[in-house]
Amino acid sequence: MGSLNGKVCLVSGASRGLGRAIALEFGRQGASLVINSRPSSAKELAETERQLNRLGAPVLSVLADVSQRADVERLAGEALMRFGSVDVLVNNASALGPTPMPYLVDYPIEDFNAVLQTNLAAPFMLTRALVGQMLAKGSGSIINVTSDAGVVGYPTWGAYGVSKAALDQLTRTWAAELAGSGVRVNSVDPGDMDTAMKRASEPDGDASAWAKPETRTAVFVFLAADASAGVSGERLLAAQFVAEKGERS
Amino acid sequence: MRFYLPPELEAHQPAELRGVRRDQVRLMVLPRLQGPMVHTQFDALGEFLCPGDLLVVNTSRTLPALLRAHDEEGKPVEVRLAQRRSDEVWDALLLDGRAHIGQAGMRLDFGQGLTATVEDRRPDLPFLWQVHFDRCCIPLLDLIYRLGEPVRYGYVEKPLPIDLYQTVYAGEPGSVEMPSAGRPFSWQVLLKLKNQGVGLASILLHTGLSSTRDDQIDLTHPVYDEQYFVPEATARAVNDTHAHGGRVIAVGTTVVRSLESAAQADGSVKAVRGLTRLHITPDYRLKVVDALLTGMHEPYASHLDLLSAFVAPARLQAAYLEAIQRGYLWHEFGDVNLII
Repeated sequence: MGSLNGKVCLVSGASRGLGRAIALEFGRQGASLVINSRPSSAKELAETERQLNRLGAPVLSVLADVSQRADVERLAGEALMRFGSVDVLVNNASALGPTPMPYLVDYPIEDFNAVLQTNLAAPFMLTRALVGQMLAKGSGSIINVTSDAGVVGYPTWGAYGVSKAALDQLTRTWAAELAGSGVRVNSVDPGDMDTAMKRASEPDGDASAWAKPETRTAVFVFLAADASAGVSGERLLAAQFVAEKGERS
Repeated sequence: MRFYLPPELEAHQPAELRGVRRDQVRLMVLPRLQGPMVHTQFDALGEFLCPGDLLVVNTSRTLPALLRAHDEEGKPVEVRLAQRRSDEVWDALLLDGRAHIGQAGMRLDFGQGLTATVEDRRPDLPFLWQVHFDRCCIPLLDLIYRLGEPVRYGYVEKPLPIDLYQTVYAGEPGSVEMPSAGRPFSWQVLLKLKNQGVGLASILLHTGLSSTRDDQIDLTHPVYDEQYFVPEATARAVNDTHAHGGRVIAVGTTVVRSLESAAQADGSVKAVRGLTRLHITPDYRLKVVDALLTGMHEPYASHLDLLSAFVAPARLQAAYLEAIQRGYLWHEFGDVNLII
């Protein structure tokens, strides 16, 4: 018996990196999965689906650009048609912006807007599309993937950092508005991980010093499971969670 | 029931696009038997409900069910999905403008690789054709989302995003028109009602088309068979509400149809998943539902028959005339009426 038996979990940006790792761990824990990526990552998403199939997890793959309003409704509709409800939403899909990463003064306005649309508007729209059926049931968990770039003003991380700071505030506001409803909203900062996005952002960085995404999933399982009932409006650090729980290193 | 609806009272767009919140549309409260009407705003709904009352909503999500295709000769065909019959077969209206078209064997090409074959007419509803798509299930749903637009009528000028056609509690998709009586609810209102002691329960009924686009057919008030689902929890909530003296308030005519279809002879409700052809007329004796929240319905609409099961036709007619005089807005994005 996994801790997510019987739960339906939707993970955006599940074609690679942390999103794939979360989806696979949720699958191991007994969840049914709706996994999503942009159409340009179709092959990688199919690989995530294959790995979930091997785990025996029921899975629906939906290619959709969650920064687009119509795609969000399509993704929500297909998930609800396939499984009847969605219990857990992980807003993981994220855009870094142009690379090499420019200073704000050099940031193209179109790119700035696109980053905010994917990292901030998309979690808002996807939550809005799915939270109603959670409220009607009186339970649900929404997890937003954030970053320390939303707390610290790192040079060149402008649009990304701004979007993550705003996502943290979105998390707190959702949590406050939904307090007592049974629907919980939290954010998780996974820390530095060896992902394609991280390598793109720091091409000269030491990848060996970065954690593997698979080692950062325990906190997501915790927040998705009933064991965390009552936890809402929190910003959790994945590495600290692992250290305290001693489950993975 | 006959009345003249001035065109300026047709709501062309959702409240939010008119500059007001969805829960700030107008609310006309009509006592079923006697007493004056009250004209207020929807977010004051709680003033008319009591602790122990139960709101029952339809959680069906709305699909973009208007598809555009071409036949073998390249002529455009408007396909309005009406009801899903199986994983790959839908009942549909086939239109050229407002003219009904279609013939058995017709091939339809929707683009993006989606095709369908027109099979037979529905014997009981001959204006509907059975359209057999070349795929089923989620792949078909995916293309309906990609290719479709919300079903709309003349008073809505251009297609609007499909999310504007959803209630805030919408779940599984399947309705071809919005179960619109519930559209004014915000979660702010629903959570306030919950704190007030008003219960919330749900049914699922995927709505069909409200018009065939042919006035003569519409005047006959064709009765559609519709899939509905009353969950165990809802049946229990309804029965408990009545046992404790509370009122069951249906949000929309689809909820009335579902609950009354699930009613037992003793007035209790049982959980059921089935097909209903129940047609509620002024003579129908309601077994379960005590009050109704509903939109403002068009002249001659079959929904007005159903409303007359709650309130005498003459009283309803007087209420509608007063609503017109006071400038209430009609249709799915308009104002609402609580008959209680």
